[in-house]
Amino acid sequence: MTMTEEQTMLWDTADRYLRDNADFNQRRDQIAKGIYNLPQKWQAFAEMGWLAMPFPESMDGLNFGLREIAILAELCGQYLVTEPLIDTLTVASSVLMRSEQAAALVPDVITGDLIAIAAIDEPTAESRLSPSSTLSQTESGWHLQGKKYWISAGASATHFAVLADSCNGLAWVLVAKDAAGLSCETFPTHDGKGGANCHFDLPINDDQILLMGDAAAEALSAFRECAMVVSSAETLGAAQAALDTTVDYTKQREQFGQPLASFQALQHRMANMLIQTELTRSLVYAACDAADRNAWDRGRFARAAKVKSAAVGRKVTQEAIQLHGGIATTDEYIVGHFFKRVTALETWVCSKGEALQEFMALDADKIASVGPA
Amino acid sequence: MNASSPLPTDSDAFRIAVRDFLSEALTPELIRAGKRTTSVFSDFEAGRQWQSILHQRGWGAPDWPLEYGGTGWDIQQRYIFQEECRQANAPTPVMMGIQMLGPMLMHFGTPSQKERFLPGIISGENVWCQGYSEPGSGSDLASLKTTADHDGDDFIVNGTKIWTSMAHYSDWIFCLVRTDKAVKPQAGISFLLIDMATPGITVKPFTSLDGEIEQCQVFFEDVRVPSANLLGQENQGWTVAKSLLEFERGGQHFTIDLKKQLSKVQQMMSSETCRGTADPTFAYRVAEAQIDVMALEQTELRIKGSLTAGDNPGALSSLVKVSGTELGQCCAELLIEAAGQSAIPWQSEVLAPSYNGSTAAASESVTTMAEYINSRATTIYGGTAEIQRSIIAKHVLGL
Repeated sequence: MTMTEEQTMLWDTADRYLRDNADFNQRRDQIAKGIYNLPQKWQAFAEMGWLAMPFPESMDGLNFGLREIAILAELCGQYLVTEPLIDTLTVASSVLMRSEQAAALVPDVITGDLIAIAAIDEPTAESRLSPSSTLSQTESGWHLQGKKYWISAGASATHFAVLADSCNGLAWVLVAKDAAGLSCETFPTHDGKGGANCHFDLPINDDQILLMGDAAAEALSAFRECAMVVSSAETLGAAQAALDTTVDYTKQREQFGQPLASFQALQHRMANMLIQTELTRSLVYAACDAADRNAWDRGRFARAAKVKSAAVGRKVTQEAIQLHGGIATTDEYIVGHFFKRVTALETWVCSKGEALQEFMALDADKIASVGPA
Repeated sequence: MNASSPLPTDSDAFRIAVRDFLSEALTPELIRAGKRTTSVFSDFEAGRQWQSILHQRGWGAPDWPLEYGGTGWDIQQRYIFQEECRQANAPTPVMMGIQMLGPMLMHFGTPSQKERFLPGIISGENVWCQGYSEPGSGSDLASLKTTADHDGDDFIVNGTKIWTSMAHYSDWIFCLVRTDKAVKPQAGISFLLIDMATPGITVKPFTSLDGEIEQCQVFFEDVRVPSANLLGQENQGWTVAKSLLEFERGGQHFTIDLKKQLSKVQQMMSSETCRGTADPTFAYRVAEAQIDVMALEQTELRIKGSLTAGDNPGALSSLVKVSGTELGQCCAELLIEAAGQSAIPWQSEVLAPSYNGSTAAASESVTTMAEYINSRATTIYGGTAEIQRSIIAKHVLGL
C-alpha cells in the first residue's frame, strides 16, 4: 500500500507543478472567463506524460495502472484542477484501451489534441447503464440518435465517447464535437469543470464505433469501476485539503481572546475529520491495489471506496465550512470550492447509493455461490 | 506438529499449522467459553487453562521477543494467529500481564525484575491487573492520589484504585502511585509492582450492567511494598504509563472481531430461528458497516506496513482505537437489532462454559445483549474516545 519509488516521483513532480501553476486565484479568473481547460496547463500535462499514462509502451504510453491515475486524481482534488484530466484518463484506460479503432487516435490523445469525454448521462439515471440513445444500422452505415445531458468536463471535450444501444447490444461511439448533426450546448458548472448537453442525430461510420456488444459492456463496467476509484481519490484529496485549510485557519483566527483551535469542541470535530479522511485513504489505496485482482474483489473495493468517500467527502467539507464560519461561504475563499467539487463528484458516473446497492449485490452473489462466510 | 518442529514461513502454510494446533488443543468446553465471551475476557478459569496450553506449545506470548519466550513471528503471522484463534472460538485469557506489563518490564525492568516476573506472566501462573484509575482520577489520570512513602527499604502505599479489571482473580497489580507531591502532577508518579496477597489490600467487586463481575475497586491501607518492586526510576512512572497505554491501544486488530460480529449479523438475517427484524432498510446499514470495517482493516494494514518499515504509529493508535471501538458499538447495535426479541432473556448461568443445557434465548443470540451492553465500556476504558480525540488534535493536527 506504500508508494513505489516511481509513484513517489510522480506524486512529487505533479505536486510541484500544480503548486506552482494551479493557484486558486488564477483558477477563479480562469473560470470567470469561461476557460475550463487552460491550453498551457493542458500542454504541460501532456509533456509530463500524464495523458499517456494508461497506454502500453508499444503505443508510446507509460503503461501505468490505476494507482498512478489515482495519485493524479488525489492531487486534482487538492488543487481543484478544472482541466479534464481524470475524465480523459478514465475514458482512455477503460474504453480507448479496449478498442482497435481507437489505436490510430492514441497519438493525438497522448499529445492532448484529442480530448475524449464520456457521454453517458441522459435525463434518467437508469440510462447510465442502459441508454435510450440508439445506434441503428442504415443502408450506408450507422446512425446515432439521442441526447446526452450534463456531461461533466463536456465543455473541454474535442470528442465524445457516446454510450448507445444498438442491435448488437451496447456501443461506444466516438463523435467529434464539431460534427454536423451534433448540437452541443456548453455551460459553466458549480465545480468549475464546465459541462455540455448534446443532441445527436448524425451518420456514423465503422471507424467511429469504438466497441460494440460484450466488449462495450465490459468497457462500461471497467469505466464505471475506474470512475468510482478515481472520483474517490479526488474526493480524498479535496477532503484532506479542506481539513488542512481548516486546521490552519482555526490556529490563526481568534475569538474570545484565543485561537479557535484551542476550543475542545472544535478540536474533536477536526479529529473526526482526520479519522474519517484517513479511513477513506486506506480504502482508496486498497481499491487501487485490488485493480489487479479478481473481478469480485476489484468490484467490491471500488464500490466500498465510492460509498465511503462520498459520505466522508460530504461530511468533511461541510464541517470545514462550519468551522471556518462566514468566510467559507464566500466565492473568494477556497474551502467552499472543495465542498462544491466533492458534491459534483458524488454523482459523477455512479452515486453513493448505487454503489452501495451494487456492493450488496456482489456479496449476495458470493453467498449464493459459496454460502455465507 | 510438536513444539520442536519449525513453523512454515509461508502465510498459508503457517495458517494451516495454527489451525491444526487449535483443532487439536481446544476442548469442547474451551470452545464454549470462547463462544460465550461477552466482553474482553472469557470465563476466567477457561482463559487461564488456555494460556497454560499455549505456553506449553511455546505460543504463550506471540508478540514478545524470542529471548523472553516469545515466538519471533512477524506481524503478519501474529495477525494470522489471532485471527485463527478467534475463528476457532478460543477463549481470551486475562492479558494485562502479557500485553501491557510484559513489554514495560522488558523496556524499563532491571535484569532481576525481568527474571522474577516474566516467566510467571507468560505461563499464566501469575495473573496481573492494572491499577491506574482512581475515584477522583479518570481521564485526568495524572491527578492520582494513591501515595507511596519511603519507609526504610520499603514503600508504604495508601489509597484506592478503581475499574481494576479482574482484580478479584489477580495475584499481582501494577500501580501508578504518587511519590512526590511537591512537583507538577506528572513528575511525581512512580510505577510499582504489588503482590495482591500483601496485608492491607482489599478488593470490592462491582456487578456490571450485564450481571457479571469484571470491575473492582482495590483499597490500599498501609501496604508495605519492597523498593525492589519499583519499575523504572522513582518519579518516572508517567513515562512508563504513557508507553504502556500506547501498547494497550496499538497492536490491536479490531477488525478480526468486527468481521466476526458482522458475519453473525448476516447469519441472523437469514436465520429461521431468530430473525429479529423485518426492516427492509436494515441490510443497507449492515452493508455500510461492512464498508467501514473494510476501511478500518485497510487502515490497520497500513499502520502495520509502516511499523514494519520502522516508523512509530504514535497517535495513529488513537485513530484505530476510536474507530475500532465505535465501529464495534455500531456492530453490537446491528446485532441486537438482528436478534430482536430473541435477545431479551437474561440467564447468566448459560454463559458458563460448563453449561450444556437449553436456553430461553435462541442459540445464536445467547450472548447478544451482554455484548451490546458491554460494548458501551469500550469507548471509556484505555483512555476515553474523547481523550483519544484530544490526542489526535494535539499530536496529529497540532492544535
